[in-house]
Amino acid sequence: MSRILVAEDDPHILRLISMWLKRQGHDVQEARNGLSARDLLMAEPVDVLVSDVNMPGMDGLELIEAVAGEGCVQRGIVVLTNRWDHVSIRDQLAEWDVHVLPKPFSPSRLSELVESLTAAGTAESQTEA
Amino acid sequence: MAQSKPAIFDEQLLRDLVGGLSLPGTPAALSVGIVGSATSAPQFPAHCLKACLNGDPTTATTQGCPFLIRALQNEAATDALQGGRCPKGFRAAVEQTLIGGLPAVLITLADDGAVEPSTAIGFDLLTQLDTATRLIRHVGGLVEENAGFAEEALQNYEQLNLLFDLIPRIAQVNDGRAIERLLLRRIARLLMIPGVCLVASDGARRWYESDGAAAGATGAGTDEGGVASIVHETRATRQVHVATVDDWQVLAGPLVRLDEQVDVVVAARQTDAEPFTSGDLMLLESVLAFGGQIISNAELQERLRDMSMQVARALVAAIDKKDHYTSGHSERVGLLTRITAEQLGIPGTEIQIMEWAGLLHDIGKIGIPEEILCKPGKLTPEEFDVIKKHPGMGYEILKPIASFELVVDGVLYHHEHPDGSGYPKGLTRDEIPMVARIIHVVDTFDALTSTRSYRQAFTMEKASEIIRAESGQRIDADVADAFFQAFDNYRCSEPEAFATAFLEHREAAHVES
Repeated sequence: MSRILVAEDDPHILRLISMWLKRQGHDVQEARNGLSARDLLMAEPVDVLVSDVNMPGMDGLELIEAVAGEGCVQRGIVVLTNRWDHVSIRDQLAEWDVHVLPKPFSPSRLSELVESLTAAGTAESQTEA
Repeated sequence: MAQSKPAIFDEQLLRDLVGGLSLPGTPAALSVGIVGSATSAPQFPAHCLKACLNGDPTTATTQGCPFLIRALQNEAATDALQGGRCPKGFRAAVEQTLIGGLPAVLITLADDGAVEPSTAIGFDLLTQLDTATRLIRHVGGLVEENAGFAEEALQNYEQLNLLFDLIPRIAQVNDGRAIERLLLRRIARLLMIPGVCLVASDGARRWYESDGAAAGATGAGTDEGGVASIVHETRATRQVHVATVDDWQVLAGPLVRLDEQVDVVVAARQTDAEPFTSGDLMLLESVLAFGGQIISNAELQERLRDMSMQVARALVAAIDKKDHYTSGHSERVGLLTRITAEQLGIPGTEIQIMEWAGLLHDIGKIGIPEEILCKPGKLTPEEFDVIKKHPGMGYEILKPIASFELVVDGVLYHHEHPDGSGYPKGLTRDEIPMVARIIHVVDTFDALTSTRSYRQAFTMEKASEIIRAESGQRIDADVADAFFQAFDNYRCSEPEAFATAFLEHREAAHVES
């Protein structure tokens, strides 16, 4: 059971991801764009951030740049994206140890990933790259 | 869709809503209750709960309050009230009404005092409650629908990923049976069942377990009689079919293989589980269609390889038979080349090529006149020169065949010696390709241990001595060591095959046991 923030601008996909993760027993918060996600994360840290890339205002990459060094996300970051250049996104975020899953993502793969991130011993700051 | 839908709109919600219905400022003096709605348990007024029910609504029927009992039976209990008071003396107002579209009884009770327990107040609140509950039900319905779509989307995402993942896996495998295994295990996972059964065209059955974690009963109703009919239908029509067999629902699909043989893949779920959908049928059909193609291709390749090998074997056997004494020689050299190469740790794909080279090494003899080839006595220098042409002739014969590119070296150089005294080119050890060095050793051994037109066979021990004596000069020392080791291993591990290959062709030769 971990605290997860899901940032996704499409409300249906947001609901889908949220529902899936809640069913795995996690405590899930939702954010519809990068800015509100950042505000929520700054106010209260979470274990895992699951974020889309293409969002209005502040996109996923900018969000990660903004919060990754601040101790707001304590166990790991998963990026879900339908951008074709998802491989280069992984490279762009290399310094933050981010996992990238292309959409349509495999729900079972997502839960495995979240499990393995949260099972990794005691909480350590995500900045230790 | 799912077997237990989550309760979006439930009793607790109604209870919470009604519980909140009290007149502001005088919460204790007046209480409202609703009894008899079909969608929720009775919500008794706080007065009833305190005074008569001891806080336990389930005792309502046993407490004998006629007022409550009639309300529970959906009757306006007004005639159970004496002078507008309930049996306990609270002032009461009762009315039948509709809550969320269903009949219920509204009860309003008050202590003696300022507030009148008029049902008008209750109605007012109730109208709001009614509207609220209808709204909640509607939203609840939407939420459920939404959840339903989300559920389906998640399932589709999972299936897509499983399909995307399957294709590259299969592409890396060459063996027909191995592809069958990958394919069928993934199909079981896609269909979310513990496994599937393949009923082959010859009646053989193979069970494949899902490659994911699957719960549920195994060994689905694959008793003979039960599925025979659907298997037959599927095979005959080459289409997917669904049938009920005992308490299983059975889905069967055709897997068409080489020579139009049709295997049938059988999947089953218990009848009270999710029914097989059109999506499941389309999935099975398409995955089996492309899977069948891929398996057939792999098996065709295997078959062609076998055929080529058989043709080559027949050809060299024919050539060997020209000289009665060399019958079976090329087969033996092929085998010995293979085991020696294995002993030397050469990679598998190269071993196959070397075995071919061993098999074909003397193919050039087809161009040597029989008088010379089978001459009983010693050869003249001119006759020996003719014999020395056979590696080159073999090379010329095989060179045009593209797939034998790596084989020709073994054929051309199999009479070269490490000390440069061999033919046709007089290469020295490092210049001689490994395949040729191996063939030379095993060829020499087999020739020494066979009776020839010009001499008797040597014993295996004598032959080994002769070979060791030449190590470093006419025989590659490392290859010789590897050969002797491999030969002994083979003799011990496969005595029957050894006897057939190496002992039966000799005539009156003194052989060690």
